[in-house]
Formats: sequence, C-alpha cells, structure tokens
Amino acid sequence: MGRARASLTTENMPKPPSNCEATRETALLSWIQQFAPYGVVTLDESFRVQGWNDWMEIHSGMRRQEVAGINLFTLFPDIHQRNLAGNFERALKGEASVLSTALHRYLLPFRSPFPEGVSAHMLQTARIAPLFSEEKVCGVIVVIEDVTQRESQAEALERQHRRDQLVSWALAHLLKTEQPRKAIRQLFFKIAEQLDFDTFFVYLRDVETGQLNLEAVGGVPVESDKEFLACPFLNQLSGGSSDVFVLNSVQQLQTPEYEAFNKVGIRAAVGFSLVANERNLGLLCFASCSRDTIATEESDLLATIAQFLATALDRESANGQLHKAKEALSEHARLLEQKVQERTARLRDTISELETFSYTIAHDLRAPARGISGFCEVLLEDFRETLPREAGLMVEKIARAGGRMESLTRDLLAFSKISRQEIVLAPTQIEPVIEEISALRVPAIRQAIRVRAPMCPVRAHRGLLQHALSNLIDNAVKFVEPGAPPKITIGTEPVSHGSPGNRSRSLTFSSHTPLVSEASTSAPAGEELPGYIRIWVRDEGIGIPREAHQKIFGIFERGITSDGYEGTGIGLAIVARAMQRMGGTYGVESEPGKGSQFWLELPAA
Amino acid sequence: MELTATQQDALTELINIGYARAAAALSDLTGHRISLEVPEVAIHVISEIKTRLLRVIKDEVASVNQVFSGPINGNAILLLDREAALLLNNLLTDRDQAQGKLDGAAREVITEVGNILLNACLGAFGNLLKVQVTFTVPYLQVDNVDKVLRSITVQGSELEYALIIHTRFHMRASNVSGYLVIILGVTSLKTLLEELRKWEERELR
Repeated sequence: MGRARASLTTENMPKPPSNCEATRETALLSWIQQFAPYGVVTLDESFRVQGWNDWMEIHSGMRRQEVAGINLFTLFPDIHQRNLAGNFERALKGEASVLSTALHRYLLPFRSPFPEGVSAHMLQTARIAPLFSEEKVCGVIVVIEDVTQRESQAEALERQHRRDQLVSWALAHLLKTEQPRKAIRQLFFKIAEQLDFDTFFVYLRDVETGQLNLEAVGGVPVESDKEFLACPFLNQLSGGSSDVFVLNSVQQLQTPEYEAFNKVGIRAAVGFSLVANERNLGLLCFASCSRDTIATEESDLLATIAQFLATALDRESANGQLHKAKEALSEHARLLEQKVQERTARLRDTISELETFSYTIAHDLRAPARGISGFCEVLLEDFRETLPREAGLMVEKIARAGGRMESLTRDLLAFSKISRQEIVLAPTQIEPVIEEISALRVPAIRQAIRVRAPMCPVRAHRGLLQHALSNLIDNAVKFVEPGAPPKITIGTEPVSHGSPGNRSRSLTFSSHTPLVSEASTSAPAGEELPGYIRIWVRDEGIGIPREAHQKIFGIFERGITSDGYEGTGIGLAIVARAMQRMGGTYGVESEPGKGSQFWLELPAA
Repeated sequence: MELTATQQDALTELINIGYARAAAALSDLTGHRISLEVPEVAIHVISEIKTRLLRVIKDEVASVNQVFSGPINGNAILLLDREAALLLNNLLTDRDQAQGKLDGAAREVITEVGNILLNACLGAFGNLLKVQVTFTVPYLQVDNVDKVLRSITVQGSELEYALIIHTRFHMRASNVSGYLVIILGVTSLKTLLEELRKWEERELR
C-alpha cells in the first residue's frame, strides 16, 4: 500500500475526479477494495466510517449503511481500552503503522473463522495509514488481514515439532538407558509437563506373582494407587483386553468405579497397556485435571511412547534374565571345576596309597618268597636222598611256586617303580637300547633279533623305553609254537596323525600327571604337528585274537593263547604304563597263528 | 562528509528523544521494560555504506523499510541480522521460535518494531522541522545487505547521504543490536543540519 488517496471510494466516498485516467484508477481501487480478501475501512478526520468493504460486512456482521458516519471507536470501544487509538491519531499526522498479530492478536474483535482453533477471535494483522487529499491528510485507511489460518497452521507445526522432539527425546532416553525403570519418573514428569497433563502413573507387573505394582506416579497422592486399580478402565488395560483406553469427561460419570479418579479431580485420562513380545508388562496412564477431552493426536503420541517404554522394559528384563543365566552358568562351572579338583585330588591320594601299598606288598613279599625258594633248594640239594619220593616232589612244587611268587613280586615292584619314578624325556637313539637288551640274552635269542636300520631317534626316558622294549622282545621270544625258533624284527617309521586326539591312545589312566601333557603335545592350529615315530616289534609267534588286543595291556591280564606259557601278566602292563608316563601310545596288530606286531609311538627327537 | 562534534551531539540527542517515545511504546506493548540506546551516529555518502555495513552485519538481514516524504524525504531502514531479529521476536512475544526461522508472525513483529522505531525517529525530525513528514506503510525484506541497499538506492538520483544510527535494545537482561539507516538527499540533509543548528540554539537560549 503506497500513499492512499482520498479518491479511494465506495458508494459513501466523495466523487472521483473527472479526468479519464483518474477515473480508471479510481475504478481499479474501488474494485480491489470491494473484493480484496482484506478488510478495508476508511475513516474521516474524526474517525467516522466512510468506506466499509464487503469483507468488513461479512466479518463484522454490520452492513455498510449501518456503520457509515459512525465513529469507529464507538463501534469498537475496546480500541481505546487496548491503547490502539494512538495509531489512528498518529495516522492523521502522517504516520503509517503496522499492528502485528503476535503483539496485538487483533485490531477489531471479530469471531474466528476457526472457532475450535487457537483463538476465539479472528487473528489479524492491521495497517493503519493516513489518507491524503491534495497533499493534506484527510482521513485514515485501515487494512485488516485475517491471519487465523496462518497462525493455526504455524501453531500446529510448532506443536508437532515439539512433540516430535519429545518423542525423539523419550526414545533416545529409553534406548540409551540400561535401566528404563529408573528413568520412568524423570521421563514421564517431563512428558506430562510438555503435553499439559497433570498426572501420570505407571504400573508394572511382577514377573513372578503377576501382580500389578505402582512403579511411578506424578501429580496425585501415592495412596490413590490402590483405588485406581479398581477402575474398570485400568482393569481392561491390565487384563490385556485393550491396548489403549481414552476416558473423557470423567466428572460426568456417576459410576462409583471412577470415584477414585473423581476424588483427585481427574477429568480426562488416557491409558495404554505396555505390551512387548505378546507379554503384558503393565500399564501407563496420563490424566488431566483441567481438560475434559484428550485429542487423538495426543493419545497417538503417547501410544508411541508407551510402546517405546514397553520395548525398553522388555529389553531390560531380557538383559536381566540373561545376566542371571550367565551368573548361574558360571557358578555351576565353578562348582563343577571345584568338584573335579576335589575328586582328582582324592583319586590321586587313593592311587598313591594303592601304589605305595602294592610297592610295599611286592617289596615285603620278596624276602619270604626268596626264603621259601632258598629253603626248598637246600631241601632238595642236601636232603633229597632222605626225603620220601612224594615229599621230594612236593618240595619241587613248593620251589616252583616260590620262584613264581618271586617273579611276580619282582615284576610288580618294577611296575610300581615305573609308576612312581620321576622321569625326564630326552632324545634317545634306539639301536643302543636294543643292543643292550640283546646283550643280556642268550646267543640263540640274540641271533633271532633283526633290526631294520636306520632307526629314528625318539624323545623318551631311556630306562623306561628299554624296559618296554625288553618286555616286548621277551614276549616275542616266549610266545612261539613249542619247539619253533623265535624270529623278531624291530624297526621304526615316522607316522603322521591329524591331531593327538585322533591317535589310538588306549590307556587314559595314570596315577601321575604325565610329564608330556596333552597341552604340550598338541600344537596350536595351523602349525605343523611334531612328528611321531612308531617303533614296532614283529614276531612270527602264536598271535593274539582280536578281542584280546586291548585286554592284554591290563595288569595281571594274559592272552587266551598264553596258557601253558609262563608269565606274570605284568609285562605288557609295564609297557603300557611306561608309554603313558612318556606321553606315548602303544598297540598291537595280531591274529592267531600269524604272529604279532606290537608298536610304540613316541615323539620324534 | 563528517559531522562536527556539535552536530553529532545534537543529532544524537534528537534521536534519543525519538527513541524514548519508541521505547515507551514498546514497553507498553509488551509489558516488559524496554530501553533503547544510541551508542553511535555517523554520516556517510551512500557509496560507502555498503562496505561499512558489511563489516558489522554479515549474511542475511531482516530490514524494515519505510519511505518518508515532506520537506525532507528519503528512506529509513532498520537492519537486524537474523539472530538479532529472532532474539528480538522471542523477547517481545515470550515465544521460543525453536526452528530458527522467521515465520509470518515473527516477520510482522519485526515490522511493527521497525515501524515504531522509524516513526519515532522520523517524527522527531518532523517535530524539529515543524513540518509534517509522511510515511508509507513499512515493509519487511529478508535478504543480504547488498540486495537490501540496492533496492533502496536505485530510487534517488541526486547525491545521497546515509545517516547510520547504531541502535541497541535492552530488555529482560538481553541486548539486541541493530542499525537504523536513514538515506537522505543532499538538500534534505542540509535542511536537517540547518534545522538542527537552529534547534540547538533555541534549546540553549
């Protein structure tokens, strides 16, 4: 709007100038004024209405004829009361002014086109300017713009923005916190405040009893809690029959069930069941003491927040259970470990006692056994002639039994020693060991032993290895068809195994921790495993049936085919124990009548 | 062109009279005590003001523009940078314009404040000159300083001067700073300075 001219007319206005251009301009202005989406009022110098366009008629409800010539301040006395008359007076002095909605709301009190909106009055922006006639101010023009819709939209936008912020804030808070239950109070106080609710309460279900317990409350006395729970509204939510429940105009409900709400002045309430993973975790309720209705957009917003809360609570409880399960598991593992240790210790003690016992027995039996043998020999040598023949035969039997007892005690002692002896593994050449063994044998046996050279060295305890090989050679010599000469071949070969676990470790029992433990024999994944050497002792003797292959390595066990062959049943047990002590393995491949091949495996040196 | 110390004092005093009226109007309007201060008044040829203003106001400005006419005529503009405009709006309306945007309502508030300030200031000039100065209805323009100035200066052809009045609003423990720029033709400026001299003489008498 530039300088308004007095020639701006309606039917009440002065006559337009006669020249043609002025007429056209006047017509245009008149047209704009008439149909403009603005209120246009012109006043004379005494503020009496001169012009009053259609817009003004529509919104004021007053016809042009009714207001013409009447002072504007008489029509709208509140202009004076609201200190706005100054703007009109200054307009007469040439000043133009703008009245903003934000600071004045409106200039003239018209009804809002959106009565349910932000204001009961139409929100207006007004411009008040002088009207000139021949460079002299002759009146005032007022232009009024209806900005109700713009402001409603701005406010709705603003409200939406704040709500979005609130939802994001609540979500961030609930996502971040490890313990949403602890955050509830702070969270819902803020939400209630922001959304203009006076009260909130949160009930959570006890996992074990299923009871609803008050978790947090704001705005009403905590004691109201039990009475609230009796309200059918909360019942429905807690029973899971509905997820959202809006209760408007509570004060008008005469039913006694809502007495608890009435008592604390609640006028409208909205509640949500907290459901996550199909479990009803509790309920959340917001209430107002100043409003009778809760808008859908509010309940939608709160429903989102309720869902966040339910998810967060569910996560918390799942975390809690996981934590408990983990603790229980680690406690169980700890107890198990403790039990294993205790039992292992007890077992070790028992074994140690047993070994001491067997050692003592073997050791102490040797002397009486020798005595028996010795005295039998004396009897036979010195008194044979005087003894009746029967007695002589008996003494011979006693002597044989004594000799057998002596070998038994000797072997047992050897077995005990192997179990108890401290051993250290070292690279060991096998040929000298075999040479030493055969040196102690009679020439016939010496000749029966063939060695497949070269032999691979192994990591072993020389004494134990010698003992084991010696026992295997003795068995090969012993278990042949009567009259057949023994034939023994000894050799070595490297063996490769996928992992120590796949190897035929046939005995897993040891009274002592093996020096070469599982951990030190197994190499980390991806590394080349240390090679093993198999030492085999082959004979062409009577052979052993398959079913006896395992058994024969046990103490006092003898093969079925060994009947008629002398022996204590300890020899192979010594082999087994010796290999065990050295972290090695052993076994046999054999069939009756086809000879046997015993083997020992030890780490390559 | 430079103002003498005497001219500067007289001008500042005159503007302060106008600002007192504006401050009273704003205080009435908002219910908060608002005061206005003039820390600095300077005069420059129009070609210089862009450089000078760009030193103090960067980026976009909200400008309230009013044309005045009478024995002196020209353009009066209130320039506020975006933050100042937002803060001023928030302080006056008790609102928190969270989105950092000058919406329709905020633009109107700034226009009204500019209008009050410009009317008061120019009214004081009018009173001094004992003539009636008339104004157009103010309009708001949000743009960079360069564009705002260009849209104004194309109008006049004669040598023009700009009176730059640094303006500070004090309210509710906050300060908002802006610039009131009055662009005058050489004749108008001479008239104004002459009238100012006479006014001072009268005042001193």
